[in-house]
Amino acid sequence: MVTRCRALFVGVAVIGYLAASQAAHAQDKTIKIGALFPISGPGSYFGAQDKQGVELALEQLNKTGVNGYKFAVQYEDSSCAPLPATQAAKRLIEQFRPDVIIGEECSDATLAVMPVIEQAKVPLLNAGSSSIKVTEPGNPWTFRIMPNEVMQGVNLAENAYKRLNARTAVLLFENTNAGIGNAQVFKDTFTKLGGQVLAEIGFGRDVNDFTAIATRVAGLSKIDVIPTYTLEGQGLKITQALAQSGVTKGGGGGTIQIGTIWLPFGFEQKAGKAALGYIRIVQFDPTETRDVVKDFTAAFKAKYNADPTHLNAHAYEQIMLIADVVKRGGKDPQSIRDGLAATKNYSGVTGSVEFDRTNQNTKMDTVHYMETKPDMSWTSLKWN
Amino acid sequence: MSDPALAQPLPHRQSPPLSRRVGYLLAALAIIILPLIFNDTYWRTNLTICAINVLLALGLDFILGYTGQLNLGHSAFYGLGAYVSTLLIVKFGIPFWGAFVAGVAFAGMAGMVLSLFAVRLRGHYLAIASLGFAVIIYQILLNWISLTQGPLGIYGISPPPALIIGGRVIADFHNLTAFFYLVAAFTFLVYLLLNQLVRSPIGETLTAIREDEISAASLGINAAVWKVFAFGVGAAVAGAAGCFYASFVGTLVPDAFFVAEAFNILAMVIVGGMGTLIGPVFGAILLTLLPEMLRGIGDLRLVVYGAALTLVVLFMPGGLVQAARFVHEKFRRGGPQP
Amino acid sequence: MTTTIVLQQAINGIVLGSLYVLVALGLTLIYGVLVQINFAHADFVTLGAFAAYFFMHLIGAGYFLSIGVALVLGAALGWLINASIFTPLRRKGNELLPLIATIGVSVMMQNLMLAWFGPIPYAFETPYSSQVIRFAGIFVSWQNVIIIAVSSLTIALLYAFMKFTFLGKALRAVSQDRETAGLMGINPNQLIMLTFVIASALAGMAGAMLAPVLVLTPFAGTSVIVKAFAIVIIGGFGNVEGTILAGLIVGLIESYTTQYLNPGLIDIVVFALLLLMLAIKPTGLISERREENV
Repeated sequence: MVTRCRALFVGVAVIGYLAASQAAHAQDKTIKIGALFPISGPGSYFGAQDKQGVELALEQLNKTGVNGYKFAVQYEDSSCAPLPATQAAKRLIEQFRPDVIIGEECSDATLAVMPVIEQAKVPLLNAGSSSIKVTEPGNPWTFRIMPNEVMQGVNLAENAYKRLNARTAVLLFENTNAGIGNAQVFKDTFTKLGGQVLAEIGFGRDVNDFTAIATRVAGLSKIDVIPTYTLEGQGLKITQALAQSGVTKGGGGGTIQIGTIWLPFGFEQKAGKAALGYIRIVQFDPTETRDVVKDFTAAFKAKYNADPTHLNAHAYEQIMLIADVVKRGGKDPQSIRDGLAATKNYSGVTGSVEFDRTNQNTKMDTVHYMETKPDMSWTSLKWN
Repeated sequence: MSDPALAQPLPHRQSPPLSRRVGYLLAALAIIILPLIFNDTYWRTNLTICAINVLLALGLDFILGYTGQLNLGHSAFYGLGAYVSTLLIVKFGIPFWGAFVAGVAFAGMAGMVLSLFAVRLRGHYLAIASLGFAVIIYQILLNWISLTQGPLGIYGISPPPALIIGGRVIADFHNLTAFFYLVAAFTFLVYLLLNQLVRSPIGETLTAIREDEISAASLGINAAVWKVFAFGVGAAVAGAAGCFYASFVGTLVPDAFFVAEAFNILAMVIVGGMGTLIGPVFGAILLTLLPEMLRGIGDLRLVVYGAALTLVVLFMPGGLVQAARFVHEKFRRGGPQP
Repeated sequence: MTTTIVLQQAINGIVLGSLYVLVALGLTLIYGVLVQINFAHADFVTLGAFAAYFFMHLIGAGYFLSIGVALVLGAALGWLINASIFTPLRRKGNELLPLIATIGVSVMMQNLMLAWFGPIPYAFETPYSSQVIRFAGIFVSWQNVIIIAVSSLTIALLYAFMKFTFLGKALRAVSQDRETAGLMGINPNQLIMLTFVIASALAGMAGAMLAPVLVLTPFAGTSVIVKAFAIVIIGGFGNVEGTILAGLIVGLIESYTTQYLNPGLIDIVVFALLLLMLAIKPTGLISERREENV
């Protein structure tokens, strides 16, 4: 008799608890976003800027919420390497239980976390890794906003051949997954079109002085374009060295340096005259006249007192896209995944977003071309 | 007339076999229970990484702590084990355990090659030579893209094939707990093996070389042969760790074997207690878990890690083992006695 | 055309070599006297670079004054590290412990700098870094000329100090035989402190001079430190002339490997040379014989 009473009591208490927690949950509508960014080590170059973009987006969204939902972000340090990234992903999934995850930046890390996140049935939204392997196999849980190395590389090579009439090229790239991958795509396309690659020069991330490389390049016969794949630190040194050796336009030569989205806005100001005539793909142009870009740039400047870079823009875009999905009814991992896949006519700060069946955003207006003018500002080349 | 050398028992023989056996039993129990207590993938991954790092620390300690050879390039053997075994599996379809043995053997042989330098060099010269060796191996793994894929990486590496006895699957190594048991069991066996070695006359020979190589030579010890042996064993163990690493993480890039990794392993040995076997075990566990537990701190996580390392070395150079002995003494005697 | 290239790469190599020598000099000094390796040396260089940057760009001071500031900062840091780490640990007699301690210090410094300065590379422009001298189809930037000039001057001063002053001779005495030097009335501890301070000041100064050349992030020092170690060994531990020679050789190897092979192979070639040296002549290119007491 006593035991049955106790059991009944416990049963009521449990039901009461469950009911109460449901009610509490109903008021407590938050979309949980996990963020896998490199926060320690050299990769923090990406993480620090990503965080700025995320924070700005959160600030704007949480003023009013979307569809009654607020947004919460949990950052985990993925260190731009496979093992720490999978550790960070597991920790995120098990302890924070996110509805959606954004990240990583480095291709190796992204490729390593994809299976973990897929197994947890959480959508992963990526805006930083260029390796084709991220989307090519067609993972239903991985989405990429930015144009991959094939989209950029093929387009760049074709434009170099057709619009710039380039027939010879020298490839300069950092010895990483992204550097080698991007250079390879350019080479394949360029040679298929009939161009000739005179040299492929890969260098480690620890090289500081590029005069030796510039000298070697200067010693080659007439070069039309130099596709360069490196981040801004080394990029600066390369551009200056190439100008000093008289190879590129900035140094009085005829060769044009070309590149993809890796270099931020503001690079030209740091490089000075050496960057004259540099033509590259940018994913974000703060001088664009579209309202969404103007508003973002103004808000960013107001908060951080600096012009936003493409990394800031990518991160902002990821959060904003998620907010758009929530507006369309997404509220948990599965519905957010479906919402992402169904995205149409979305126009963000870096361009439009629409995913193909491998969940790669194929809108080419994310690939803008710029040429550096003598006053170091950009001319937008209407090549796309 | 008895030989005075035999009459004096060496310190490590004083500990009774019973307490050691109890220790082993407790360790085995801990290994079995831990993944059941920490039952999410994040912590089970941590446990497995601990086991792999214990292997690395044990191997290095055998070379450094027992034989006194300043090896700063242990990451080279780790990387060689990982790449040789993985490439054999992925490119030539060799079954896992065959590739494992090949990886271990290759790493062991690389160790013996480095030991040829140890034969001729001492102290800091050997330290920098081993560092140079590690840099060269790393650069080869990084640049020989046609062979190793370099920074492009090797993905989708499978765990060891499931253990099937009589048609029934005993252990599927996709399961993290099963994988942990595999690595932990292997590490346990290696510990037992190394323990036997250091307590045998071989161990005394190695210690003699560590203490005073020139005097040891006058006793007829051929230091060269034993250095080769020590490096071979230590490197082979690191190679095994590499094989497990590759099949556990599933992704292989050369950056995992950058020279800084050798310093991490060295720190584990020192913090744990160089020259003992149990020290590196705890040093490895502590230094694997510490950065993970510090994740909550955020940006200053690694600053704290560096500070901890420096402070341990400054104030507790014998590592955790020294700290444990200190506490043990205080407990036993109720305070220091004259 | 080819002679121009060969000559240009020779000059590039010498410039690179001077860069490495500047960093390696401090290391070799410390090793000569202390028989110790300071892994945080690279981070002194980085910190010196940042100090010069902020002094110049925030306070608006001149470039050479900023170099002076970096030098003083390096000296102060050297004093601190020696007092807090090397002196207490020297009594314990273990070669490895100070090494590990300096690894810990290095990790701390790098991550503190990361927290303070952030990961985005700073563009350090001096009046000299963009100006280029051209003659006979060869070019050299003024910044690099300054690097070579100042390092040559420093080396000459250091050399004179070691050979002709009492302190310098005392330093050499301590490096050859610490106990006997002590017997002769020289206080080894003070001299070791002095060496450390000088070496770290050199590191700070090197950072300030190299800042326009390096990719300036908190990880700048690590990009050169391992090669600096290799140079110290190839040249002979504790030997200033050897370090200079080895530094120049490594610089030339780097530029010629870049020209005729592939930049990715630089480290392999340099370290293969290191291992070769250690196999054939471990005491270095220019060595002094050291006897070991049994």
